[in-house]
Amino acid sequence: MIFMIKTDVLVVGSGPAGSTAAKHAALGGADVILMDKKAEIGAPKRCAEGVSKNGLKRVGVEVNPRWVTRELDGVRLVAPDGTDVWLTTDTIEIPEAGYILERKIFDKYMAMDAARAGAQIFIKTQAKGVRKDGDGFIVTCEKMGELFEIKCKILIAADGPESHVARWAGLKTTYNKPKNMESGIQYEMCNVKLQDQNVIEFFFGSVAPGGYVWIFPKEGDIANVGLAVIAEMAEKPAIEYLDDFVKTNPALKDAQPVEMNVGGDPVGGIHKKIYSDNLMVVGDAASQVNPLTGGGIISGMTGGMHAGKVAADAIKDEDYSAKRLKEYDTNLRDAIGDEMKKYLKVKDYLLSLSDKELNSVAVAFQDVEFEKANTEELVKNLIKVSPKAVLKLGKLF
Amino acid sequence: MIVKDWCSYCGECAGICPKNCIEVKETSLVFDDEECTENCDFCVQACPLHALEKE
Repeated sequence: MIFMIKTDVLVVGSGPAGSTAAKHAALGGADVILMDKKAEIGAPKRCAEGVSKNGLKRVGVEVNPRWVTRELDGVRLVAPDGTDVWLTTDTIEIPEAGYILERKIFDKYMAMDAARAGAQIFIKTQAKGVRKDGDGFIVTCEKMGELFEIKCKILIAADGPESHVARWAGLKTTYNKPKNMESGIQYEMCNVKLQDQNVIEFFFGSVAPGGYVWIFPKEGDIANVGLAVIAEMAEKPAIEYLDDFVKTNPALKDAQPVEMNVGGDPVGGIHKKIYSDNLMVVGDAASQVNPLTGGGIISGMTGGMHAGKVAADAIKDEDYSAKRLKEYDTNLRDAIGDEMKKYLKVKDYLLSLSDKELNSVAVAFQDVEFEKANTEELVKNLIKVSPKAVLKLGKLF
Repeated sequence: MIVKDWCSYCGECAGICPKNCIEVKETSLVFDDEECTENCDFCVQACPLHALEKE
């Protein structure tokens, strides 16, 4: 006999998006269960661990030194020929300036916030199937060989880019185009000797077809060194691109890996349909990821926050219909929809450029005094070095 | 599908599968062979570690 637990809201997946959804639903007075298939929340990480300061403020999270490993001062952008552009906070306001996290601690803290708000947490518990049951869902679960069911009025799918929960519940969240899912791989390394340990570095072009390489410095000489590629543009597996990069980058001459992380990154923009009757989808499962940077912590938490709040209100109203839950979609797209569309266009632009054109763009930007420059001056500079790159830019807008 | 020993169960293959044929457990992958009929190879190509191979 399979036993059944009843709850108002069930959140499947305890990444930052799921935990945030659980926290806000519980704060709003709903009975909440947050479950995760992993034995340890936050591990293994699948992420370069960068977040913006403004983003954390927007989702109402106070910075805690336990999960911050580095505060950042800027960005170094490197073209295929090595031409680099430095954007530092003393010369330009960088909206995405922020922190490098320790996800294994951060994710646990976010889940603890959910627990302190009143959510129950089930770890090492996997969703095995979902079926509609009247005005709700029944989710079949397995915990260490034991099967049981959870009946909920609202189901929140936060089970990552490989989400099955939303698909089982009837929403189409699969990709038709493989270019919308990047293949990511990363080493956490020590003995990394960057020119400025407070600046994150990005390397563009054929070094990572369809994506880019990143070096995100953490505490001391530690850094996340990783890349993402689009498989259909790549000639070899992502790991081979990363190993080639590590062999040739001077900052990594003596670097040694202590951890390897892999995973997919959904970069096609937010899925069109992220709610239905009794269901909301958040985080990577809803492709709430910045299409340009691949960063999804803050955008996923934004999704989680709005979903959790709407879930709590819907429980109070006893209305879990798609019409009621549409408020989640509206609030989310009001908050981050426009910026996601903008980043998608910039990504498409960067993907359209050859290595030569990327070099020209870097040259155009290299000697710009950003605090004085305006858009017109930047475009003029670009026209001088690469009219073709400007033409491609024009086609996008 | 042959899953090599070095698979890390990251879910990239499941995420990219257009037919939702792959279920990721903590230390295993489960393929729905009946659903996987398109021979698209997306999962094989997308694996960051080259850990999938067609039988």
